[in-house]
Amino acid sequence: MRVLVVDPDSARAALVAEGLAGVEPLEVRHAVAFNETEAALFEPDVIVVASDSPDRDTIDNLREATSANPRPVVMFVDRSEPGVAEQAVLAGVSAYMVDGLSAARVRPVLEVAMTRFQLMNQLRQDLHKARADLASRKTVERAKALLMAERGLPEDQAYRLLRKLSMDTGRPLGAVAADLLAFAGVLKGDDT
Amino acid sequence: MSGGHPLRLGFIPLNDAAAMIVAQETGLFAAEGLEVELSREVSWATIRDKVAFGALDGAHILAPLALAMTLGVAGGEPAPVIAPFAMALNGPAITLASRLAVVSGDGRRADGLARLIARRRQEGASPITLAVVFPFSTHNYLLRDWLAAAGIDPDRDVRLTVAPPPRMTELLTGGVVEGFCVTEPWDTAAVAAGAGVVAVRGSQLWPRTPDKVFGVAAAWSQRNPERLEAILRALIRAAAWADAAENRRDLAVILAQPRYVGADADIIEASLADMVFHAGGANAPLPVHAGWLLSQMMRWGHVPPQTDIPAAATRVYRPDLFQAALAQLGLPPADTPQVLEGYSGSGPFALAEARTEAARAAMSRIADA
Repeated sequence: MRVLVVDPDSARAALVAEGLAGVEPLEVRHAVAFNETEAALFEPDVIVVASDSPDRDTIDNLREATSANPRPVVMFVDRSEPGVAEQAVLAGVSAYMVDGLSAARVRPVLEVAMTRFQLMNQLRQDLHKARADLASRKTVERAKALLMAERGLPEDQAYRLLRKLSMDTGRPLGAVAADLLAFAGVLKGDDT
Repeated sequence: MSGGHPLRLGFIPLNDAAAMIVAQETGLFAAEGLEVELSREVSWATIRDKVAFGALDGAHILAPLALAMTLGVAGGEPAPVIAPFAMALNGPAITLASRLAVVSGDGRRADGLARLIARRRQEGASPITLAVVFPFSTHNYLLRDWLAAAGIDPDRDVRLTVAPPPRMTELLTGGVVEGFCVTEPWDTAAVAAGAGVVAVRGSQLWPRTPDKVFGVAAAWSQRNPERLEAILRALIRAAAWADAAENRRDLAVILAQPRYVGADADIIEASLADMVFHAGGANAPLPVHAGWLLSQMMRWGHVPPQTDIPAAATRVYRPDLFQAALAQLGLPPADTPQVLEGYSGSGPFALAEARTEAARAAMSRIADA
């Protein structure tokens, strides 16, 4: 299990390591500040971040941007903000927040967060795939036809253009095709 | 009025939090009978969560984030926010590492940067990394628009990353990023540190650049209409104070304190030069500004193409509440322009054309592909 602890204070990293003693193999790395490159190389199974870390936006963004390789983020918040923690967990906002931290609680907290994250992630991917499969084939055909008609492209080039756009933007082919059709509709004036 | 606790208002250490900080420091909140606690937050994600769940009553917030929260695309459930006040204009700038300065040329066009990127690609070098402050920010969209106008695809040709504003200089110095778009004083601070040069100011690309607003949860505003009016009156008077030339030095000294922006007072004073805190109706939350930002969000796939932009813009941006506060202060109503000049290559921009603008920009990307 690889854990990255992002916290100006090294005490929390020590506490995490202590709480995970016995887990094999285990590597707990402490970073004062979040470094995207280092994190990518380390490939943590879970990121622990203090709620008062200025790196939160970076990590938040990373989670959304790297949908291909998302990681659970566990956040420790002050006891002064229990309402935020509870409601954020309920809404699944941006992190799994835990009120306070002791060595004994580290392992169950991280395990629950990782399990829950994997479950949610699987559900999200399944839903995404089901939706995409349903809409995608027809939409891609229509977008392809549009590019062929409007830009005089042969079929294979129209498809390659869609695929390239999908890869460039990191979005599914069906979504790119759907946007293309919607935007073309707006420009033609047959607006909904 | 409801709630006996002091008002909790959040901000991020940036020049455009000035109205809120000045209202506190000069007693303008107190003069309205408001007891206010300012909370210096470390991340926009924290501001988002705290406003959504009521841990903050209001905040200095990125306009695109307020729009994204309301539309439910900012992570989590929709959390309707209203913006009855614009904090300042012309805050952002794009700063590049000093060694890239040679390619910037006339900063309004990123053509030099485009040539450098093309050359680096031919040489098989890694793409340039540029930082913005948050995905849903004027900075992200301003930078993307600047890059795209020079034929640089921000999703393909460069690496865009997110970093907290006060850390930008350190990242530039350390070579972690090669440029960034951030609100002052962090551009001027990077220049003063010898780390970078300002390639272009927001005002050169989008005149009177919209940036942060004062945002509150829509539900909070409905429960606390009188407190919101009092806040707005204090913010208007504080913004007018901050805008006066004779107060700029004092403003810099106030902002320089570690519990506020925490940068050198001389650097802050220099970095205020281009910023507008009040003049010319700068505090009016213009729906056309929200519409422009939403059109950019749609262009890059951050809101769905079906989004009703005029409806969203007028739901979040509330010039009516702002004008009412002006009237209570005995001030004349502010002009609320319906059209933006100089923003779009295709001419003046009006709210009704937001989706067309987004569609045209998105389709031109396909034409370039």
